[in-house]
This record gives sequence, structure tokens and C-alpha cells, in this order.
Amino acid sequence: MLRAMSTPAIHATGLRKSFRTTDGSSVTAVDDVDLTVQPGEIVAFLGPNGAGKTTTVDMLLGLTSPDAGTIEVYGATPAEAVRLGRVSAVMQTGGLLNDFTVAETVQAIAALHGRPDRVDVVLERARLTGLAGRRVEACSGGEQQRLKFALALVPDPDLVILDEPTTGMDVGARQEFWQAMREDAALGRTIVFATHYLAEADEFAERTVLMNHGRIVHDAATTDVRAAYGGRTVTFRPPADVVGAAGIDPAWLARVRAALAPLGVGDLEVSAASLEAAFLALTAESGTTSNDDALTGAAR
Amino acid sequence: MTTTALTSAVPSGRTAPRPAMVAYARLDLRRQLRDRMAMFFIVGLPTFMYLVFGLGSDDRVGSGNVAMYIMISMACYGAVTATTGIAGSAATEQVMGWGRQLGLTPMRPLGFVAAKAALAMVVAAMPVTLIFAIGALTGARGAWSDWVLGAAIVWLGSALFAIYGLAVSLVFRGANAAGIASGFIVIMAFLGGLFTPMSGIMLDIGRLTPLYGYASLARYPLTDGWLPVGGHDPLWLPVANVLAWTVIFSLLAMWGVRRSRART
Repeated sequence: MLRAMSTPAIHATGLRKSFRTTDGSSVTAVDDVDLTVQPGEIVAFLGPNGAGKTTTVDMLLGLTSPDAGTIEVYGATPAEAVRLGRVSAVMQTGGLLNDFTVAETVQAIAALHGRPDRVDVVLERARLTGLAGRRVEACSGGEQQRLKFALALVPDPDLVILDEPTTGMDVGARQEFWQAMREDAALGRTIVFATHYLAEADEFAERTVLMNHGRIVHDAATTDVRAAYGGRTVTFRPPADVVGAAGIDPAWLARVRAALAPLGVGDLEVSAASLEAAFLALTAESGTTSNDDALTGAAR
Repeated sequence: MTTTALTSAVPSGRTAPRPAMVAYARLDLRRQLRDRMAMFFIVGLPTFMYLVFGLGSDDRVGSGNVAMYIMISMACYGAVTATTGIAGSAATEQVMGWGRQLGLTPMRPLGFVAAKAALAMVVAAMPVTLIFAIGALTGARGAWSDWVLGAAIVWLGSALFAIYGLAVSLVFRGANAAGIASGFIVIMAFLGGLFTPMSGIMLDIGRLTPLYGYASLARYPLTDGWLPVGGHDPLWLPVANVLAWTVIFSLLAMWGVRRSRART
């Protein structure tokens, strides 16, 4: 435990990675990223497509080597940490073999980890025991995603990295997935996840790292990110008789606007504000937006 | 945040586990054998064709008979279909993301290649064993050295077509690549004279195709180079053919590997 306290789960400094595109020009996917994650933390990685999240994840897993900078995962190189089974991942681009059954897929990966004892445990944990005999191709997108999660749990890793883990899941499956993750986090696993569903970061992560254009633009407790960039939202419930199938009666909304105007309230919007607002403000095309500008953007 | 670390149930001292490669290869073999379509083309079709064309053909060829000649040809077809398909789907698995899944296990890339090579050779041995066994029971005749050398060359030489399957799958990326590779095998089997002996211009073209050299070499102990339609191939011809195609397929595969790497 002392060791767990003193050695960070992830310690990366000055990470940089460029790619050559097909037309020969060079694109910097990750640009001078510093990141330290302590054991037991739950960290959300947010950013638009192309922000550098997947490339960063690949470097943390040793699947891509950085052009510059250093990475340590529990004090070892990523490749070594993978080999020791300390880090594992559900990857966006990871694939499954269609003609394996669910159980065979887990058995195959468990064999390669030298952990055949883990097969039943991870099937249970990912709620796949009932589907063990089903072919992968007959599984829904959400079930396949759960299978990838089961594979990630095979080595009993200290750190799990999830890249868009709930892609293809419906609302119910997503909720079930996060329930399973919560149980796992309670056991002390470190969890780093990238997601497009901002509500997931909002609900699940203690800390949020926002990436854009290959850089970390914000790194703080999730509640701080929301408070700093998302503003505050006043929510109320309109009387039932003004809510129809087409939404709220516009005439009634006009009356609300008129009633609020003397209080200095302008730009009334009917929506639930969340991290989404912070996300949009921070990843707006002007990369150097100050906090105040971001606030205006978010309140719009 | 760090307080949760205190409750960590995960042991911090770990030793690297040893991948159970045999268990993995066994699961992969079971998956391959369950693929009825593939197994039909690997074992069923060449066996059937031997029974149709080879059974009872007792005319003399070299140190044996026609049944023996057709038996070796069909074993060649089954064996290369196996190695082509398995190597091709191995490349496809890598491209389609299973490779990334394996990249998160302690298995090294060389381990994957070894497991697939073992799988390909085990499956390639199936049609060779079955067709030679049927041949032995139904009147294929030849000197004992024709049997032993023929079987060995058919089996080992089929490894060349693993390189071919790999190359085709890397060049035509995507899920159909293994199917494309197998399709070309049928065409090359005709040109190579596996299904029916060629003559004239088709024979001249066929001599340059990869299955011609491999099958001629496998039949060489039996035929001594004499062709069923008349004429003679010196031993250097099939040898040169096999060597040339080994180089061509290897270069193509290496180019494909480099191209697939450059993308990421």
C-alpha cells in the first residue's frame, strides 16, 4: 500500500507525437502533455475528435511510442506494465473475432495472460455469464463492448484505461456498464476513461482532463470544471397544462420571459446545462479563449 | 482522492505471467475447424476431386500410376488452400483490431506468428494425410520414396503459400482479403496444372505460375520430370519457380507490412 501511495499510476512528462498524413504533411496529435494520475483516482478524458485522446491512450499502453517525453506506468515502461498485467484497456479500435464464442474469447486472452483462473470471474463481473456460449457475431454492440471490458479485467489490472467504452450501448446498457465500473472502482482500481458522453464524466469522474489540439487545456476536479466554465443553471418545472407533445407552449414561455425581464434575466434557454457547456466553451476554435470569454460562450 | 488508494485490494508486487501459447493455439484450431466453408475447400473438395478423377486410374506415370499423380496434385491443392486461408485471415485479424487486443497481453508478436504458423501447418497436414490415406487404400501406386518425398514436399512446400496469403491480405486490406487470396488459388491451380494437365501455350504460361513449380516438385520423385502430355521439365525449372515466387511473395508481404505500419 505504501508503494501504491508513492508511485503514481501514470506519470507522463512532455509527451509529443506527430504523424505523417497521406499528403506528406505532418500533424501533431499530442503536443507537450504532462499528466500524473495517482492510484485509486477516477479520471475522465474529454475532448473533441482529433484532440489527441486516443493517441495519448496508445502511448500509455505502449502501443505507440512517443516522439519525445517520458511515460511511466506504476514506475515501469508501458510495455513492461502491460506485460506484468498492471495496466489494461478497453480500446475504441480493439476488435473481437466473430467466430469465437464469448467464453472462448475470454479463455483465449486469459491463456495469453497465463490466468485461466480469471475466466469465470470476469464473465461474472461483466454480466456475461448467461451469454458465455453465444458467438461474438450474434452479440449486440453493447454486449461486445461488455466483452471487451471483460477482456480488460482478465489480468486483474491496477489501472484500467477505457477509450469510449460505452459506444454502441443503449441507455440501459450504459447504466449497467457504469454500475459495474463503480463496483470496480470501489475495490481501488485506478480508472482513466475517454468519453463523448459528457454526462458520464460529470457523473462518474472525480477529475476531468480536457484535451484540445493535442494539449491539455484544463485539468481539475470535475465539479470545478463545471463551476468554472459551465455557469449555474436554474431549473424549474412548468405547470403540466402548458406542456404538450410539441414541447412547452411558446405563449407561456413568452410570459415567463416577460416576468423575468425586470429581474435582469435575458436569453432564457430551455435546457439542462452540464459539462457539455464547459466542453463546448473550452474546445471552441479560438484555442486561446480566456475564462471570461468561455463563460460568455457557455451562457449563450 | 488518494484515500481510496489505501483500500486498494490489488497486490503491488507482481511477476510476469507466462502466456499459455498451446492453450491459445488449441482454441484457435477449434475455431478454424468449426469454419465449415473453409474446411470444405481445404479437405472436402480436394478429396472429392481425387475420388472423381483419380480413383481407378491405373495408367503408368513414371515410377507409379495416374491415381498417384492426381493424389499428389489434390493434396497440393488442399494444403495450399489451408495455408493461404489461415495466413490471410491472420493478417486480417491483425488489421481488424484483434491484433491490438493481443497487443495488451504478454504475448510477443513473434509468438503470434509462431502460433499461426503451427496452426497453418497442422491444418495443411489434414488434407495431405486424408488424401494420401485414401490413395493408399484405393490403388495409387508408386515407389516408397515417391510417397515419402511427395508427402513431405506437399506439406512443407505449402508454407510458401502462407507467405502468399499474408501478402494478398496486406495488399487488399479488409474482411474479404482471405477470400480473394483463395480465389486466386483456384485460378493458379488451373494454370499450374493441378486439376487437368495443360499443353501448348497454356503450359508455357502455366510454367511461370507459382502452383506449377510447387506441384511439379512434389510430383518429381514420381515423374522424374516427364509431363503427362509429353515433354520433360528439368529439375531446375520447378526449383527456380519455387525460389522466384518465394522471393516475390516475401517482398510483397514486406511491402504490405511496411504500408500497414505507415498508416498508424
